[in-house]
Amino acid sequence: MRKGLIQATDGFERIVHWSLALSCIALCITGLGMMYQSFNFIGDLMGGLKSLKYVHNFTGVFFGVALYFTIRMWWKEAGIFSMPEDLEWIRCAGGYLWHVDNPPEVGKYNPGQKMFFLAVAGFGVIMFLTGLVMWFPLSFPPMIVRLMFVLHALGFVVIFAFFFVHLYLGTIGSPGSLDAMLTGWVSRAWLKKQHPKWLKEMEEHGTLIVYGEEKPSATGHH
Amino acid sequence: MAEKTKLIDVSKCTGCRACQLACKQWNQQPAKQTENYGTYQNPPDLQSNTWTLIRFQEIAEKDKVKWLFRKDGCMHCTDASCVKVCPSGALHYTDFGTVAVTNSLCIGCKECVSACPFNIPRYDRVTDKIYKCDLCLSRLEADLIPACAKACPPGAISFGDKNAMIKKAYARAKELGGDANVYGDKFVGGTHVIYVLTEKPRVYDALPDKPSVPFSIIVWKDMLKPLSLLAAGGVLAGSFLHYILHGPKLPDEPGKEEKGGE
Repeated sequence: MRKGLIQATDGFERIVHWSLALSCIALCITGLGMMYQSFNFIGDLMGGLKSLKYVHNFTGVFFGVALYFTIRMWWKEAGIFSMPEDLEWIRCAGGYLWHVDNPPEVGKYNPGQKMFFLAVAGFGVIMFLTGLVMWFPLSFPPMIVRLMFVLHALGFVVIFAFFFVHLYLGTIGSPGSLDAMLTGWVSRAWLKKQHPKWLKEMEEHGTLIVYGEEKPSATGHH
Repeated sequence: MAEKTKLIDVSKCTGCRACQLACKQWNQQPAKQTENYGTYQNPPDLQSNTWTLIRFQEIAEKDKVKWLFRKDGCMHCTDASCVKVCPSGALHYTDFGTVAVTNSLCIGCKECVSACPFNIPRYDRVTDKIYKCDLCLSRLEADLIPACAKACPPGAISFGDKNAMIKKAYARAKELGGDANVYGDKFVGGTHVIYVLTEKPRVYDALPDKPSVPFSIIVWKDMLKPLSLLAAGGVLAGSFLHYILHGPKLPDEPGKEEKGGE
């Protein structure tokens, strides 16, 4: 770690994030193995399609638990829009799509991230609940089970597409962002560019944790 | 190979259940202890080891009682919901146009159970697989007719080329007159089991009036499934274009913006 880096996430946040992310990826891959017969071979890696189904089902349970902690941890910060600045940000797409001279300053999460969080949280819950019904289809009327498959597929369309947006903007699309979820320590320049309002808030509240400096008394998640 | 069809003429059925027995015998399925619950219908429903079943119905008409016998079982749809939803390819079409199950591929997901508009596939907890009539595929491949058709004493079940059977069915329905009708050739792409019914379809137990591939399955398999890859591909292409046209969002040069550490 370099002196002067700022802590953006704590260990708990990163563990929850990666629990959700890795189980989500595993679910997408195993789900594809069942959705497309041409991807049935993915099951071969797990000893057959039947094993793949069990991997999918139990990973789904793990995903559900991770999702619970994700929502509990982030819904206040990422689940609620703060008007009118968020609306203003959405109007200019945060300067991500075309040139904007002064996009509105964002706090810990920009409205794009909030939308991503809400999509994952909403469809994640749908995936978990519909998946449970699909696991025990004989306990429910066929009409309900059929509807669950539609919703599960719809959730996949949304989450799978959003996953690649997240992957791009979390890596090469926004250099420096990945560190927030890997080590948790980000540069001041990155923070100033990406979340200037949050930086200011932390400075004002004295919650800013800078590497190599004495910790302030009021710390965030610790 | 020519498509084959089984024709069940319920007007000739005597309810003897020789077909049920022949089915169990050829497919080596054990029987369960029968149970009297007030009807001749036994077992009560299709089971993982009972792939065909005579459904008994009593219909009261003025001073008399009318019996209806209907041999229930897989209809072998041309546009089969079960084949559409099966993730492993265990359920598949044969050269005869029928729908067979490759048991070794079945993963026991039961998607077909919920999908079938005729409520045919049955799940077996012990083997964790589903079972249904395969129209005696092993016999068809040996140039034999299905066991039920072979066994039927009054000749209510006949088997042959699809067109010949449809023709025969319509001729018989015309001969019977009244409410007699042909059931099966008009929906789900045409079934490979067709009935000559003496009553309107809705009179019969567990027989859907207008069966179809459920709309939810069409949305799921024909729309959302391709859309999932299209959307993901679109996002990947969009991200690439964003990177080369708009460019990543970079922090400002250090030193230029930074006002020094605190």
